[in-house]
Amino acid sequence: MDPAVPDAPPERRLHPWSWLFVLLQQLRQFIVPLVALLVFGGSSDRGGMWMTFGPLLAVGVLVLLSLLQYFTYRYRVGRDGLTIREGWLHRSLREIPFSRIHNVVLHQSLLHRMFGVAEVRLESAGGQKPEAQMRVLDMEHALALENLVRHRGQTPEAAPELAQAQADELFSLPTAEVIRLGLVSNRGMIVMAAAVGLASQLVPDRLIANMVEQSGRQAYGYASGLHLGWLSGAAAGVTLLLIALLLLRGLSVLLALVKYHGFRLSEEERRLTVQRGLFSKLRTSVTRRRIQAWTLQESFLHRVLKRRSLGIDTAVSQQAQGDDRALKELAPIATPQQCEALIQHLLPHAHWPRESWIGLPVRAWWRLFLPTALFMPLLAGVLLLYSGEAWALLPLLWLPWAAYSARQQARRHGYSVDDQLVAVRGGWWSRYWRFAELDKLQALRLARSPLDRRLGTASLHLDTAGANGLLPPLQIRFLPLADAELLYRQLAAALARRRLR
Amino acid sequence: MHPEEIAPTPAPAPASLPSDWQLLPLRGAKLAALGSATGMAIPFALAFAALSRIRVLEFGNLFVMALIGALLGLGIGAWLGFMRHRRVSWKLDAEGFAVRRGNWWRTETRVPVSRVQHLDLKRGPLERGLSLATLVVHTAGTSMAAVTVSGLDGADAERLRDRLGHQLEQADDAL
Repeated sequence: MDPAVPDAPPERRLHPWSWLFVLLQQLRQFIVPLVALLVFGGSSDRGGMWMTFGPLLAVGVLVLLSLLQYFTYRYRVGRDGLTIREGWLHRSLREIPFSRIHNVVLHQSLLHRMFGVAEVRLESAGGQKPEAQMRVLDMEHALALENLVRHRGQTPEAAPELAQAQADELFSLPTAEVIRLGLVSNRGMIVMAAAVGLASQLVPDRLIANMVEQSGRQAYGYASGLHLGWLSGAAAGVTLLLIALLLLRGLSVLLALVKYHGFRLSEEERRLTVQRGLFSKLRTSVTRRRIQAWTLQESFLHRVLKRRSLGIDTAVSQQAQGDDRALKELAPIATPQQCEALIQHLLPHAHWPRESWIGLPVRAWWRLFLPTALFMPLLAGVLLLYSGEAWALLPLLWLPWAAYSARQQARRHGYSVDDQLVAVRGGWWSRYWRFAELDKLQALRLARSPLDRRLGTASLHLDTAGANGLLPPLQIRFLPLADAELLYRQLAAALARRRLR
Repeated sequence: MHPEEIAPTPAPAPASLPSDWQLLPLRGAKLAALGSATGMAIPFALAFAALSRIRVLEFGNLFVMALIGALLGLGIGAWLGFMRHRRVSWKLDAEGFAVRRGNWWRTETRVPVSRVQHLDLKRGPLERGLSLATLVVHTAGTSMAAVTVSGLDGADAERLRDRLGHQLEQADDAL
């Protein structure tokens, strides 16, 4: 630190209770070995005392380490950035300019709320770890820091107290909408699958096998006791399946309530902030200009409920903390009109609900069908080779449906490009619209497969920052070659002319 | 294209690089062939050994089959590597850097000058021996986050780096 600067602001420490939260965080990492030591160490006779006190000793060391971190972690808010000093033997000093901070995340679990503190994370683009993680600050300081980063990053002159009141609410989710969100999401299924996977890892195999066998036998005994006919047996099976599905949807609704309760999207001075959570509250924000690409999705269930969801890509590091905390959803569920209004508000030059989509010739539907048409017979062939039985041909039954689906998809495929925005749409059973501003495109690729060359077509792939593999890619497929080359040249020229904003 | 054919003008002048499609120097083709051949030999050897093991290929013993596989892999790999190398061409113009690849599956990737994040120039020992270099152009994107061209002529690579890097200095924060 530089003591020569006369009016340098004072260094600050974390909240006095912060060691407790650091300790809890560390305990979470060490919980498995500690429990193992307690469970397996406690029962053995050898080295009894060591085994009993070992875990206590370990916890004691962790407490010491947490205290040490509390005493050595200082931060100072400078004019252009934050300075963070930490460490005792291995010291580090980190300067973070406000203008490089893309996102400020405030996180409050139930425990945090009891102590009136919050965890603050400052994130910049890319990388695996956040720039700084302050565990924990009291709420007042956390909010002040959040405010400061926002305003210093954008307009150094703005007074924090003045700007605080100007947040406009853009969108919020009432409880009924959160329940709808739970109904359309598959989160329950994913959690259930994860739980089953975890159980199969932790519980000994024989136990599970016994349990399945036993309950199966019981169910079978019960069923045969009822003397059900074939039809009523099937009905019972279907009923069970329905009940299971209902339970899973119920779980999804519960999870949605926990995660999205009180969801509120607000805007202040070009910065978007999302606040959500029932037990643990999260507040995360991103500047409008850091949004890299937009995704509008509508699954079959969305359509039944007349809803869509609007998501964004940001370039913030997403690997950390299971990317749950980055601002990725502007509207987890909303009516199409609400989505459009949001896009119009945030992208005023985009002319969003686009009327003029350039589509795929419907006779090109078979190109969407081709991968399935090749894969399914192959799968059936391999299965037939191994089993030699007729059921191996079942995958072929998928083909007519896939062909129909491809035809429908070809109808809806399309793209729309102007001097502001590149947009693609596609899908049929579950539909998507994906778009990005021209300024946010990073690289272009024109690709032609042998089939493309035979048919005189090409595909254009557009790359943006922060895209992930789960979302539909920003690509225009099966364009006539002349169109593709023209578009490619025009985009290249436009990108070279424009600075990134 | 041989390096002697490129006009040796000083680096800072903006017109020091030709602005049409450039092939990689032929002397790099043997490196590409070598790399691809060694890459192909092992899977081929394993595949042949496996086929011999499950008695799809009925003649010879396991090791002879693995050897045949390795030789075949070497041959095919070398040929593929050579062809692939001859199909790579690059271009630097006012709009940016572009690379063309492939014969069956053809791609043309373009990184606009304003989107270059940083540049790497790499030279392995074999490349140094042939005065070749590998240029990696990084963007902030995801699937095209790094555009790699290996087997560039060393002087070309440096001029490319300087040209792209020069424009980089004037650019702003990219995200």
